[in-house]
This record gives sequence, structure tokens and C-alpha cells, in this order.
Amino acid sequence: MDYKAPVEAYTGVVREVAIGKGNKSLKIGGENILPLHYFDEGSNPNPAKFALEILDMEPQDWSEQLVQPFKDVISDPIKWAKRCEELGADAVFLRLVSTDPAVKDSPAEEAAALAKKVAEAISVPLIIYGSGDDKKDAEVLPKVAEACDGMNLLIGPVQKENYEIVGKALLEHGHNASALSPLDINLLKELNVKLGKFFPSEKIVIDPESAALGYGMEYSFSLMERVKQIGIITKDNMTMMPIIADLGGECWKTKQAKETKEQGLLWEGMTALSLLLAGANILVLRHPETLKLIKETIETR
Amino acid sequence: MIIIGENIHVIAQAVSTAIRERDAKVIQDLAKTQSEAGADYIDLNVGPMKKDTEETMQWLVGAVQEATDLPLSIDTLNPVAMEAGLKACKRKALLNSASGKSLSKEQMLPLAQKYNCDVVISVMTDKGMPPDVESKIESIMDTVTHANELGIPNENILVDPILLPISTAGEGQRFTVVNLEFLNILEDVLPGVKSTVGLSNTSNGVPDQLRPHLNRTYLVMLERNKLYSAIADPLDKELMSLAKGEMPKIVELIHRTMDGENIDLTSLSTKEVEYVKTARVLKGETLYSDAWLET
Repeated sequence: MDYKAPVEAYTGVVREVAIGKGNKSLKIGGENILPLHYFDEGSNPNPAKFALEILDMEPQDWSEQLVQPFKDVISDPIKWAKRCEELGADAVFLRLVSTDPAVKDSPAEEAAALAKKVAEAISVPLIIYGSGDDKKDAEVLPKVAEACDGMNLLIGPVQKENYEIVGKALLEHGHNASALSPLDINLLKELNVKLGKFFPSEKIVIDPESAALGYGMEYSFSLMERVKQIGIITKDNMTMMPIIADLGGECWKTKQAKETKEQGLLWEGMTALSLLLAGANILVLRHPETLKLIKETIETR
Repeated sequence: MIIIGENIHVIAQAVSTAIRERDAKVIQDLAKTQSEAGADYIDLNVGPMKKDTEETMQWLVGAVQEATDLPLSIDTLNPVAMEAGLKACKRKALLNSASGKSLSKEQMLPLAQKYNCDVVISVMTDKGMPPDVESKIESIMDTVTHANELGIPNENILVDPILLPISTAGEGQRFTVVNLEFLNILEDVLPGVKSTVGLSNTSNGVPDQLRPHLNRTYLVMLERNKLYSAIADPLDKELMSLAKGEMPKIVELIHRTMDGENIDLTSLSTKEVEYVKTARVLKGETLYSDAWLET
């Protein structure tokens, strides 16, 4: 008897989110199949994208092997951003770490002005994250949104504590929101529901928190997997959004990654590849050689 | 549906103070209000009770029996407190609870036989909490068989599948579904046994004002799957109306939701819509979030 492989067809479709404008834009999401289920009915019109991360100040705690590829530009975020673009990043991810009250507590206006300069200097889309301090981000991110008015950037992290104030500013100035919740599918949905009451669902990206290999990656993996299953299979309106995996920083702060360059690249590469398999739509890396490694791996699939 | 009133509980500051200071009035008022609200049993949750155990239990049971004629459920893991409590009960008491753990089999189950009372037996074993329907059935069959060997008939046994909070990251909804299935087949594998649940556990961790929605809806769903009794809050009027069969239209609506009917929400009142949405979450059809009523 001939074996006929079952073919599934699902009704849920992940919303397609465009980041950036005109020829500076890229699209993520849009798939109606589970990650890599190319044998099922449906498609993924936008294969995973990769961003390289830069900071708004010279990094204080980056290991030598991570600084090395950017050594000559690392004190200038604009040059650093351009370097990332040259190295093949689909997008640049700017983290406004200097605004953190525990780092430099630099003012919101300063960060916003820099964000705008970076966005204008590069020809790939820009993703901007605040420091993650929810109170300070509530000051910084609205200023950033305003300075970059109309550029349709992806800005976050929008969190439970600040979604109202940050979400309103992103809406007013025409940006996408990256909604972050701490590794919990129920909290993730709740934030999307609350944000979605005044913010268009088709402009929300889910940041479920990405842990590094050996440091809880399996939690992030299962969570991303479930977000996709619940969105695509059971058509839950509030999880049918693309996912951003902000993993580079988590990987490079591990003891293992700091030991040797090779180990660091593999740590970041394996984490990225795993989360890609779980369904991440855009992944944030720190090392350009990891980017190269992952792209090669995907191409030889 | 038999309701075991849960409000005399040491976690409540007023109750623990009243027990410590032998303030009978506080306890008796709680017993009376629950009894007037329609409770069928009064649960006395006394915790581990480390000091003056026997004397305290005698006092407590005595005080409550002066205020109400309802039978009592003695709720403690301390076998000394349990025995003192059972001894003091005038009516056939409920031993709450035993389990498949070795210590419980040795110390608690024999008391149920000795005092010929009803006994709650949970699915818990030395290995912990069985994770799925099959392992729950397996565990409870072992423990009930053991109880039978001690001379406790199935008719005296109330099986507790143990409810866990629905809001437990990702996993909570799986538990609500598993327990519905478990109760549905319990009677077939252990004819004659009854059942009970700690209903409010389901909504533990959920914002206070939303908890009753889950408790009420889940009670109806569990009852349809043959639940016999629940340890619950009898002061929740709507919960009691549902339990006593006074809201047949809502019950029917919940049943239709359980059957997967595609109900048109626009034709329903706000309250009815809330029941449908809550039932959908409890049966695992829509993903839980604290904002489940808002979508």
C-alpha cells in the first residue's frame, strides 16, 4: 500500500508587519504554516530576517571578540550602524542602553536625536529599543517616536507597566510596537489584548523574551512554538503576530560565550537557529560572523 | 450539588486569631452565615495545628456545632487533629483529606474506617501530582483499592482530582481540561465513589474581581461531568443559585459551549457572553489571559 503523507491546512495567518518605509522597508510574518512545515498547505512569504545590534554608547561589558569586528566604529553609533548594514544585516537594532538610570541616565531628548540620525544614515530599517527600565522607557520611547515621526520603525519594549503611554506615542507617530512580556503565554496575550484596544493589531510584534542556550532557551522555544500553534492552528486573534527574538545580548553575556570567540559564535548561532525553528520571524544578533554562519546554514538547507 | 462551605480557614487572619483566643462568636457567625446561605457542610480548615491540638479541635468542633446542625468537614493534614475532630463530631463527618501518599495511607485512611466517616481521597501519591488523565486514574485506583482493603466502602469515598490554578503559565488550562475528563470517567472505573474539588483553586492568582466568573462557570462544567460536591464559597450568591439549579438558562448555555456549538454572541446579554467566554477558556478552546472577558 502506498504511503500518503498527511497534509494540513490551517486557518490562522500571522499578520504581516512592515518595518520602515519605501525602499528602506522589510516585511516579517505573513505565514499560514507552522515554522518550516513547507510540506503543509500554505506558505511563508517572508523568510526570517536578521538584525545586528548596536548600542547608543561604547559598550562597557562586551568581550574582546565581540568588540573586534567594530573596533574602529564602536564609539560612533552612526558609523557602527552603517558597518552593520555593510555586513549584510537586514535591519539595525539600536539599544538605547545609556538612558538606563543604572547606566548613564542620559536624557530622552539626546537619545531621540541620536535615534533619528541613525535612522536617516542607513538604508535598512531601524528597530529601536529603550533600556528596558519601564519608567524611563515611558519618557524615552515617546520622544524617540516623535523624533522619528512617520518612519514606521519598530519600537519597544512596550511592557505591561508602560503600554498606554508608549503605545499612544507610537500610534500618533506611525510606528510599530514590540510588546514584551516575561516568558509567559498568558501574560503575552493579555498585553496584546490591552494594547490592541487602541493600537492596531497589525502593527504589533511579539517579544516573548529570548533566553540563551543553557540559560533557559527551552522556555523561549516552547513559548514561541505555542504562540505559533495557537495563532495558526486555533486562530487566536491575539497571538497571530510575528515574533522578534532579541537573543544576541543574552548569549554574549554567558560565561561560555566570553571564553573564546568560536564558542561565542556557536552559542549565539545555536540559540538563533533553535529559535528560528521555533518560529521567530526576526532575530537580533550581535556578531556579524554569527549572521554569516546562520545565513549559510539556511542557504544550504 | 453538595457545597462544602470553605470560609472557616486559618489563612484568614480573623479565623486564626479567633481560634487562638477561643473567640467562639467569630467562628459561629461564619458557620451560621454559610449555613443560611445554603451550604451542605462546613469545612474546618485548621492547618498544621502544632499546639494544644486535641483541646483546640474539641473546642472548635464544639463551638461550630452549637451554631449549626450541618455536618462538618475536618480539613487538616495533622492526624492527631483529625482524630480529635472526628471524635467530637455529632453527625457523620467528612475526613478532608487523605491521599495515596504512604504517610496518609498509614495515618489518615485508618481513621476513616475507625470513625466510619466519609473521606476525601486525592489523586496525589509519593511520586507527586499525576500529570494526565491516565496517571490520575491509575493513582486513584491504587489508593481506593487500598482503602477498600481497610474496610472503607466506595460509598464513603469522595475522590479529589486536585484543581490547579488556570493562570499557571501555559500549563493551567491543560489542568482544567484534564480534570473535566477525569471526572467524566471516574464513575466507570470506580463505581459508587463520589467526588469533590477545591473549586476556588482554579482561580487562584487571577485578579480578585474576576475569580467568581471562573469558579461559577467551572462548577457548572464539572457538575455536568458528574462532580458530586465542591469545597467552595457559599456566600457567592450566584454560585449558589447555579449549584441549586436556579439558573437553568445559564447552565444550558454553558453546556452548549462545552459541546462546541458556535454560539452567536451578539444575541446574548453581557452576563451570558461572559459565561460563554469563560467556558471557552476553561475547556481550553481559547488561550487564557487575565483579559479573557475583554476579547
